[in-house]
Amino acid sequence: MFNSLRMSMGWVHTWMGLVLGFVLMICFFFGALSVFDREIDRWAIPDTRFEPQPMPSFDEVLKPVYEQLRPDPVDMAATERRVVGSLPDPETLELESLFAYTTHRDPVLLIGGEFAIPNQPIDPTDDHQHVHGRATVNPATGELLNDDALKIGSDWFYPMHFSLNFNWMMLGYWIVGLAALVMLAGLVSGVIIHRKIFREFFTFRPWKNLFRSSLDLHNMTGVVALPFHFFFAFTALVIFASNIYLPVTHTTLKPLHEHHEKLEAARTGLPHEPAGVPATLASVDAMVAEAKRRWAQRDMAGEVGFLSINHLGDENGYVSIYRAGSDRVALVGEGIHFKASTGEVIREEPPRSAVSSIDEFLTGLHLQHFEHWMLRWLYVFGGLLGAVCIATGFVLFVEKRKARHAKTGSQGSRIVDALAVTTVTGMVLAAVGMLVANRLLPADLPGKGQWEQIAFWSVWVLAFLHAAWRSSPVAKARHNPAWREQSLLLGLLSLSAVGLNWITTGDHLIKTVFTDTYWAVAGVDLSLIATALIAFFAAARLRSPVSEQKADNALSRNKQVNAYD
Amino acid sequence: MNSQAALQTTNRIIAAILGGYAFTWGFSVLGITSLVALGIDFHEAETGLSLIAFLVFLGLFLWAFAAKSMIRVWLLLAGGAAIMMLIGTVLQNSLLS
Repeated sequence: MFNSLRMSMGWVHTWMGLVLGFVLMICFFFGALSVFDREIDRWAIPDTRFEPQPMPSFDEVLKPVYEQLRPDPVDMAATERRVVGSLPDPETLELESLFAYTTHRDPVLLIGGEFAIPNQPIDPTDDHQHVHGRATVNPATGELLNDDALKIGSDWFYPMHFSLNFNWMMLGYWIVGLAALVMLAGLVSGVIIHRKIFREFFTFRPWKNLFRSSLDLHNMTGVVALPFHFFFAFTALVIFASNIYLPVTHTTLKPLHEHHEKLEAARTGLPHEPAGVPATLASVDAMVAEAKRRWAQRDMAGEVGFLSINHLGDENGYVSIYRAGSDRVALVGEGIHFKASTGEVIREEPPRSAVSSIDEFLTGLHLQHFEHWMLRWLYVFGGLLGAVCIATGFVLFVEKRKARHAKTGSQGSRIVDALAVTTVTGMVLAAVGMLVANRLLPADLPGKGQWEQIAFWSVWVLAFLHAAWRSSPVAKARHNPAWREQSLLLGLLSLSAVGLNWITTGDHLIKTVFTDTYWAVAGVDLSLIATALIAFFAAARLRSPVSEQKADNALSRNKQVNAYD
Repeated sequence: MNSQAALQTTNRIIAAILGGYAFTWGFSVLGITSLVALGIDFHEAETGLSLIAFLVFLGLFLWAFAAKSMIRVWLLLAGGAAIMMLIGTVLQNSLLS
């Protein structure tokens, strides 16, 4: 079928890249937004616009909050399907473990836990015998935040980039995983099909025709950020390897895994199972103080990032306290474990081994919870470069074929172009449209988050319908006017989001930048204004119509560079 | 693209994705059990293999498109997966006994 390596790699690059490219656009764009997910949360939930807080006192603030924690109804329903008989009343379920998690960018604290259930599993090997609960706490007051307020950054844009928010049978994760593999394949095959990689690094001719300048931009963004793209696609797979993409240790090697867990429990002294003997909880604040003292002694004083209690209320219960990784790449670490009933130290984790250091460095560099604002912005630009690389790939695909398709009457390039509009301008419209909906809907609307999600999908579907409706010129080798129209709309929508934020919260840019500086909100507003400017610029550039004669000339010139097609 | 070419392409896509995945799975099973048998900590072995596995998968994925003979591709991917799976599970059983 393929006569040469270059031809086969060209095929993989073109066709796999096209089909999964639509998914990769979502991953790169929403991944770029996820870099500032906490800041977008602040924009979307004005009640939480205050400074980040360290982990509050457990004994004083958090302990009563966990008593208000309830099982998540969605997880209740999912668990109900896996067990024999119906679950007891969620009000009566008791916590068997709990956690609290915060970073240097979180004004609010994420808490959660697992509720024990008495039911037997339908599948006897299923050892997931609990229901999860999760809540967000204001650490200053200990108040629970309203669940209806969707954290658009960390609970919508962030999961969008690794699960497409499509959780049925984990299908979203698998589609993204395949896309990540194809991204890696696209990078390797892209290098193979291009001979003059060094020259392309420095080549950009925006004044040439659309095909030539798109190709330059595709090569430049692909090559300049090649290590960045490869790294993110690769670590995406590694992060989910053991739990989703390659769960050998939970399936084929489960017996060996369990054997190891028991050995480890014996070695570390952290009980694997509850004793069945009730016990009270000693002061957790004293344990936190002891952990901080030990970190300071090791010359790495720090704040608590993650705190968990296992086998809650049991004689075998233990408290684990991990140091926040604000000052280095790995997320959390230096765990110190205490016996819950007495507060004595059971175990202090030794420094990491070489393999886990590499792993934590790689995954930490992807998840970036460290404190470095400049690097954070570079991540955003890297992610957007990835999106540009893929979007220009779509343009190349269409520009290379549309004249031929116009002659043969094929609708191929027309369809691809409409999908490209949907995943480029349409996707950004959906994201900005969601922010506009967030400011328009009243804060106390029941199920507000649901309505915001509906707004998000509706805008996206409308963008697709619009792109498809306006697509007929592509079949005649011209441009789809939807590109320009959606750019204009995006500009207007972005500016109205900034205006609505001002009107509904009183936080305008003069205030958030100068008089009462709050960068989280100012940053989102400024990014929206930048989006608007780029969108208006694009719309203005797209206004000049390309005559068919010119398009044909451009195509005949392109023949020589497309030898591998 | 005529129907024979379409069939060949489908064959390559399936080999690249499913065949490559099966081989990677077997590779991980054999890799983890072998490392544990050599006395390396279980979680270390698991983490180590997850760092290598997707690079192996990537190589196989591209090879399935570049290879001349599809028979050779399937022999290595399916055969390799089965053999590594077998040795890996036997090794696991001997480690547990």
